Amino acid sequence: MHARTAPVEARPKIAVCGVTKRYGAAVLNGLDLEVAENEFVTLVGRSGCGKTTLLNIIAGLVEATAGEVLVDGVAVTGPGRGKGVVFQAQALFPWLTAIRNIEFGARSRGLDAAACRAEAEQLLALVGLAGYGDRYPSQLSGGMQQRVAIARALAQDPQILLMDEPFGALDEITRIEMQDELLRVWSTRRKTVLFVTHSITEALVLSDRVVVMGGGGIVGEYPLDAPRPRSRADPRLAALHERIWEHLR
Amino acid sequence: MRWVERPWFQGAACVVVLLALWEGASALGWLKPFQFPPPSRIAAASWEMVVAGFPTGTRIGQHALVTLQRIFTGFALATVVAIPLGLLIGRVPALDQLTLPIVTFARSVATLSLLPLALLWFGLGETSKVMLIAYACFWVMLTNAIAAAKYVDPVLIRAARTMDARGPALFFRVILPAATPRLLAGARVAIGIGFMVIVGAEMIATVAGLGALIMEARTFYRTDVSIVGMIALGVLGFAFTAGLGWLERVLLPWHRGLAEVRR
Repeated sequence: MHARTAPVEARPKIAVCGVTKRYGAAVLNGLDLEVAENEFVTLVGRSGCGKTTLLNIIAGLVEATAGEVLVDGVAVTGPGRGKGVVFQAQALFPWLTAIRNIEFGARSRGLDAAACRAEAEQLLALVGLAGYGDRYPSQLSGGMQQRVAIARALAQDPQILLMDEPFGALDEITRIEMQDELLRVWSTRRKTVLFVTHSITEALVLSDRVVVMGGGGIVGEYPLDAPRPRSRADPRLAALHERIWEHLR
Repeated sequence: MRWVERPWFQGAACVVVLLALWEGASALGWLKPFQFPPPSRIAAASWEMVVAGFPTGTRIGQHALVTLQRIFTGFALATVVAIPLGLLIGRVPALDQLTLPIVTFARSVATLSLLPLALLWFGLGETSKVMLIAYACFWVMLTNAIAAAKYVDPVLIRAARTMDARGPALFFRVILPAATPRLLAGARVAIGIGFMVIVGAEMIATVAGLGALIMEARTFYRTDVSIVGMIALGVLGFAFTAGLGWLERVLLPWHRGLAEVRR
């Protein structure tokens, strides 16, 4: 798939076109969203506003009632290794050690065993868990488990990375550490990221653009160009936090 | 800690005291030896079972071996069919709904109530005994295999699908390992049930096996020998439960204490 007809910049990495999803009532209603290559976009909104549903539709795990999603201009018809997903919690295979969980992701690329191991070792070190490869998920803390989950998703070398409240189950301190970690990892392995969160602060610290959802659609977009790492005490972030909060209420 | 305070010592002391009371009550004539043979008689009968056997020539080891063979043949037959079938039913909701009434009914039928039919269908030989064990084990293994496949955490399957695992790869790399703890738990229960059913199954048309020994000794007023048979069954059952527990720890090092965390 070479972009012969149009320059890469002109085509969004992810294009959500008029997506509607009904479970009885409409959860998503003709939603449009575009995410550029290597952009980090967060989705914030109340519980039940359809953030996770939208993420699952983009991942190909849930079928839209109407509309379509394009990744690199190709319609999404199901889940696959091009669309890496980090789930909220406990999605590691409990019978596999940390390193083998990551190898599971690498294997989807068709790498041989040695290459899988090498890639997994490298990613394990990248997420700061060198030496923990032989631990089972049950022997790791919640934060460590999510580091492994991020490494596993990166191991499949996806076109896009979808993260569904990956730090939602973590305590506040671990959560802040993980946000910094994610940015560090993202700076070495640049990906297009769509990140769902409840936390406005988390969205402001992480993303290039905060998308506010409500009523089955997008109700506001807030681009940020503040350089990273961002101070959580930055007055510009505080002002933006206030505006988004007003919007959500 | 002094050895007197150790739990194993206190447990052992309790058993010794009870046995001494029992022996004393027997010696004083409070307990009839035919109904409650004293520990010394049981010990003597145990030795007799080791060297001479009952009926003479059939030693305790042979009885145990015959019984174990029946239990394991039945268990193996049941498992080989029940695991693949149960995993299939558990992954196909339509099949699950279709088979639920049959499964619920069949597992509720007390196995030993099938003894007359089993004798009619499979004759007086080994087959009827093995088939009864197989029947009892089958429904336990089947219901566990169905539940094992059905309750695989959906997020694990979703995660696997995002990594291109589908079809046989999804089954062998995700569903089967996720189901294994429950399959082993089912095997443990099934073996236990096998040990219960075998006594009844061996009541008829055989003199070999621990169940037969227990019944046969009773008709000769050898209550002491019956009790030796009971003890042997208890010891074997205990050993196999412990063995399966060990196997579980070896096969599922990741699973320790996880059951409580997950659901």
